[in-house]
Amino acid sequence: MQPDIIVTMHEDLERALKKPPEQRRWVMLLDVRKCIGCHACTIACVSENKLPPHLYYRPVSDQERGKYPHVTRTFLPRPCMQCDEPRCVAACPAKGKGGATWKETEGVGAGTVPIDYAKCRGCGKCVAACPYGARTLDRGGYHSDGTPARQRYEAMPSYEYSKKWPREGEKPPVGRARKCHFCVHRLASGLLPQCITSCVGRAGYFGDENDPESLVAKVKKANRIQILEPAAGTAPRVYYVANEKLEVFHG
Amino acid sequence: MADRNGSSRREFLKRSALAGCGALAASQLDLARALVARAEAGELTPAELYELNRLENTLYTACLGCNTGCGIKVKVLDGVAVKIDGNPYNPFTLHPHLPMTTDLSTAARLDGAICPKGQAAHQGAYDPYRIRKVLKRAGRRGENRWTSIPFDQAVDEIVKGGKLFAHVPGEEHRTVTGLEEVFALRDPKVFAEMGEDVAKLRKKAMTVEEFKAKHAANLRFLIDPDHPDFGPRNNQFVYFWGRKKGGRSEFAKRFLDAFGTVNAHGHTTVCQGSLYFACKAMSEQYAGDGFKDGQKFYWQADTENAEYVLFVGANLFDANYGPPNRSPRMTQRLADGSLKITVVDPRFSKLASRAPGSWVPVKPGTDAAFAMGMTRWIFEHQRYDARYLANANKAAAAADGESTWSNGAWLVKIGADGEPGGFLRASELGLRPAEVRTSQDGKQTRYEDLVVLRDGKPVAFDPNDEKEAVEGALFVDTALPSEQGPVKVKSALQLMREVASERTIAQNAALCGVAPEVIEQVAREFTSHGKKAAVDVHRGPAQHTNGFYAISALMNLNLLVGNFDWAGGMIAASTFNVDGTKTAAQPFDLKKLAPKPRKPFGLSVIRHDAKYEESTVFAGYPAKRNWWPLSSDVYEEILPSIQDAYPYPVKVVYSYMAAATYSLPAGQTNIRALQDLERVPLYFASDITVGPTSLYADYVFPDVHFLERWEMQGSHPNMPVKVQPVRTPVIGSPNEVVRVFGEEQPISYETLWLALAERLGLAGFGKDGFAPGRDLTRPDDFYVRLTANVATDGKQPVADASDEEVRVFLQSRRHLPRSVFDAARWERSAGPAWRKVVTVLTRGGRFDTAEKAYEGDHVANRYGKLINLYQEKTARAKDAFTGKHYLGMARYVPVTDTLGRDTRALEAGHDLQLITHKDVRMTKSRTITHPYLTAHLPENAILVNARDAKRLGLRSGQRVKVVSATNRRGVWDLGNGHEKPMIGKVAVVEGIRPGVVTFTLGHGVWGSGATAMVIDGATLEAAPSRQGGVHANAAMWIDPHLKNTCFIDKVGGSVSFYDTRVKLVPV
Repeated sequence: MQPDIIVTMHEDLERALKKPPEQRRWVMLLDVRKCIGCHACTIACVSENKLPPHLYYRPVSDQERGKYPHVTRTFLPRPCMQCDEPRCVAACPAKGKGGATWKETEGVGAGTVPIDYAKCRGCGKCVAACPYGARTLDRGGYHSDGTPARQRYEAMPSYEYSKKWPREGEKPPVGRARKCHFCVHRLASGLLPQCITSCVGRAGYFGDENDPESLVAKVKKANRIQILEPAAGTAPRVYYVANEKLEVFHG
Repeated sequence: MADRNGSSRREFLKRSALAGCGALAASQLDLARALVARAEAGELTPAELYELNRLENTLYTACLGCNTGCGIKVKVLDGVAVKIDGNPYNPFTLHPHLPMTTDLSTAARLDGAICPKGQAAHQGAYDPYRIRKVLKRAGRRGENRWTSIPFDQAVDEIVKGGKLFAHVPGEEHRTVTGLEEVFALRDPKVFAEMGEDVAKLRKKAMTVEEFKAKHAANLRFLIDPDHPDFGPRNNQFVYFWGRKKGGRSEFAKRFLDAFGTVNAHGHTTVCQGSLYFACKAMSEQYAGDGFKDGQKFYWQADTENAEYVLFVGANLFDANYGPPNRSPRMTQRLADGSLKITVVDPRFSKLASRAPGSWVPVKPGTDAAFAMGMTRWIFEHQRYDARYLANANKAAAAADGESTWSNGAWLVKIGADGEPGGFLRASELGLRPAEVRTSQDGKQTRYEDLVVLRDGKPVAFDPNDEKEAVEGALFVDTALPSEQGPVKVKSALQLMREVASERTIAQNAALCGVAPEVIEQVAREFTSHGKKAAVDVHRGPAQHTNGFYAISALMNLNLLVGNFDWAGGMIAASTFNVDGTKTAAQPFDLKKLAPKPRKPFGLSVIRHDAKYEESTVFAGYPAKRNWWPLSSDVYEEILPSIQDAYPYPVKVVYSYMAAATYSLPAGQTNIRALQDLERVPLYFASDITVGPTSLYADYVFPDVHFLERWEMQGSHPNMPVKVQPVRTPVIGSPNEVVRVFGEEQPISYETLWLALAERLGLAGFGKDGFAPGRDLTRPDDFYVRLTANVATDGKQPVADASDEEVRVFLQSRRHLPRSVFDAARWERSAGPAWRKVVTVLTRGGRFDTAEKAYEGDHVANRYGKLINLYQEKTARAKDAFTGKHYLGMARYVPVTDTLGRDTRALEAGHDLQLITHKDVRMTKSRTITHPYLTAHLPENAILVNARDAKRLGLRSGQRVKVVSATNRRGVWDLGNGHEKPMIGKVAVVEGIRPGVVTFTLGHGVWGSGATAMVIDGATLEAAPSRQGGVHANAAMWIDPHLKNTCFIDKVGGSVSFYDTRVKLVPV
């Protein structure tokens, strides 16, 4: 019996974490054929990263095509692409390492595009610049808004970027740009990104593309790969496998 | 973090005399101190900073966001559940799952996959609208004005009765009968004697006069001495429930056995009752003089091994027990083509969307016609498994490597009217005389062989014979000589072929609204994969007035290929036993550890397991309401029957986790019933909020959330692995702590039963409740013992927990108050099985390994018995409205009302057929309290096909009102001066059959924070996030004969969810 791909990718992850950061290449691959549109990734991500209402790092669109009875339906998960040529970084007024957002080259998160909540001023330029709509400004708010009482779990910290971020008043990340970061804080603890480990249809793959033995590398090799917005030249690190041409479902 | 259980842990360590254990704890403490110091200095590594994967912050239990009950790991920080993921030890969230021998630290780093409801589940616990104290109504029923009162006062009032609502205008003089008075008959001997004679009364072996003379001294205990079959006054206590799992079932049973009422009813028929009861009919076993011991259960496809599955009305990727377990067994195989599927459904489901070309949009309610078309094609092309169907008994099946067999070759007697009746008995031909057999429990029963035709000659056989294999001819239509003259007989398979021949494939296809070729192609595909093909059915075919026969017709297709118990075929659920009655190794046999039960007797208020003709209220046809000889837990019957006082009036009603008013079609009928003070004199509820049904209660007792409680979740038929997920408290409860039997505990469902038992003086509860020295004074007294039973069931018990595992077990529960968790108390309860209990609780239950699920090409956990193609027991029961026999052979029958009339009059002017479906983000009434879900899906929509939209001039986003012939105003009348219009937003789609509209369940709620309420004079405003969407159940047809109940499947009990025609009126 084949192991669950979650277990295989977990083993791949443990192997990858032993390598020097510069030798790894974190990538995500989403096999849209297997996405069942259950939104588990979306909500798991909300819970893991303590996202306020209506802010999603990992939305999944549900689009119908065709005419009855010849209908198709496509579920398209859209995390941050962690582009190698990120438009958001270019748009940010606080550029470069030590700025608000940059292309990481060091540590567990090497290859991702992080945000430093302490540096971000919430100007929103990156939000407009991202061709994938992956960034959102955190405008505050709690899930218990409109009910008689705030709940304790809402104030508990998220661990993004391996720091504790309790949600309090106007403190960061409130007022900052927010987006998917491949759950670098989980990777640092030897855990897969939340969207991957919560994927009910097992449509999500994650790992070190530079490791030819990793599942994500094998699946990438075995399938015809698509990327979103190829003309944008952003060199995204999120790949797709699909029967349909995904470009038409995006944007 | 405070270690509130520090003292009990130390006690435990001391008594356990585990030197190593204490040392280990000390070293862990040092580690923790060092960690705190480094944290303060800002020196933590990222891995150390992340707290959610620590062993000590990880607790395993089972979800109850829906009834799938996936295994979950709850990540607890500072006593707060902050994150939930899948339990990797549980096969519902990882495929294959980790064996139980995997160490805890490995599992803590591995999250299994659960659906969004599970991800949001802690929000149900942390809901500002949860009630923490007992509420008593301050106004009229349904007014939603409450006074919080002490728990003891509430229990006293319910037990003693009196003028309990004198503060409510109009009820100043109303006196309520308390439970104490309803608990009338108490002598177990009288229970047994009267019960036996009521059985005689039913069989006309005793007259009412004879009964009255014999029991003259005890007639005062009866509801009505002129109708002894109503049973004792104890039956005037009616308890019903919505979602209740194992453990809580046993707890309630203990109370009910001691109290002696027959009125304990579940909600099965609102889910897929006719699926359960058709499979019960198929699983009835021949017992020598008839059929008995049918199981209320069903089969599902083994999706991980099937090559082809025909899904009919089964919504796998949104619901259907459930996405986290079924999806990973299918998605890769669908993508690479190793699994083919067909999806018969009026709606283009997510399931259909994952298999291009799989969608067959049939007209709702015609599934049986589809099945009959397939059946005909399979016969015409001889694509059935003749070898399987020829087997008449167990030995013949075994000789072919089969573990199940059918009655396809058995001979059925044909009446003078040409209609089939019962199976032919060998004694009727003089082949073999009837005999008297003594069963294992010493009971003597009449036994007769049955008959098949072999080489033109009748052959007597015993279906359960393991030695002498008997096969029969498949198609028989003949007359056999007997002393009384020729007996006309047909084989069951012959009957099936004849029924299938009544309509051509084209005629069946026309009924379904599909092309005949589609039926032929599906039949060919289904019969092209040997045993690795299955027909997997669910609510779609079941929830119609013809549901029972539709399910039977579809399940019979599985018998034609003989796929039961085969890998890739149809499989059944398999669980570790909880009540200790399975093996001698289990320490707590609940049957033995209980006083002699008062054997409840008499008709239930829903008249289940009873025949109209055998009752003392028989008054010709049609009956006032239906009788249910084949079904039970008929949810739609409970409150309307009480309102009709049919067959008798009741005194006290108790509902647990029930939302009948919301979840039933035409649920407004149940609101009317609950507001009838004369017919429902006293109504109390156990609920975690004031929900859409408990809103109408006199008292609402707070229950604990599922993260705060125990239960034995059980399994589902699609799961080949033998399991028993154990639900266990992972956080403390906010509920008021009360004292029952001298023990402090947060108010819960169990607390309420315990308190009632204490007041009523019921044996089997309290000090020495189980046995001398074994108390039953609190929930964990019960559930720790059940967990010990789970741990010790089977050939081998689970391993003992190691010292390190005991440490983790204790440390991870450090936040739980002593009223919930006390290691010393739990260890005392468990006795020698304690360390096995720890093994089970540190893994969220007991799970066989994935490898053990299969043996060769069969599943390891087999059904292994007869499966009925022809249903004798069904054929012998009668329709209470027409007096006609039910059909023994499944077929398509049209949708009708209870009197068998067509629905044209109700349809007139309403051109859209209303169905419903589930979205994975919602579970009927209980998920509206979860803001992660409501933020993502703020409201549902009414899906309308683009052609209909064009015809009706509707566009997406437009708001429309849903009206029908039995709800022309399109409103929920909440009975409290408020109306909730059934107005929803249209979504124009291509993915639904034209002429059909649907909406998802879960929105359009009232109660549960969706409506404002007043407690102790203060108003609690409603939450806007809970008010979204539409719930159109109130538009569903009310039966014109019953008048206070929705349309029903008279045979299988299901409510009709999908037969109503509606009109959408723009607003």
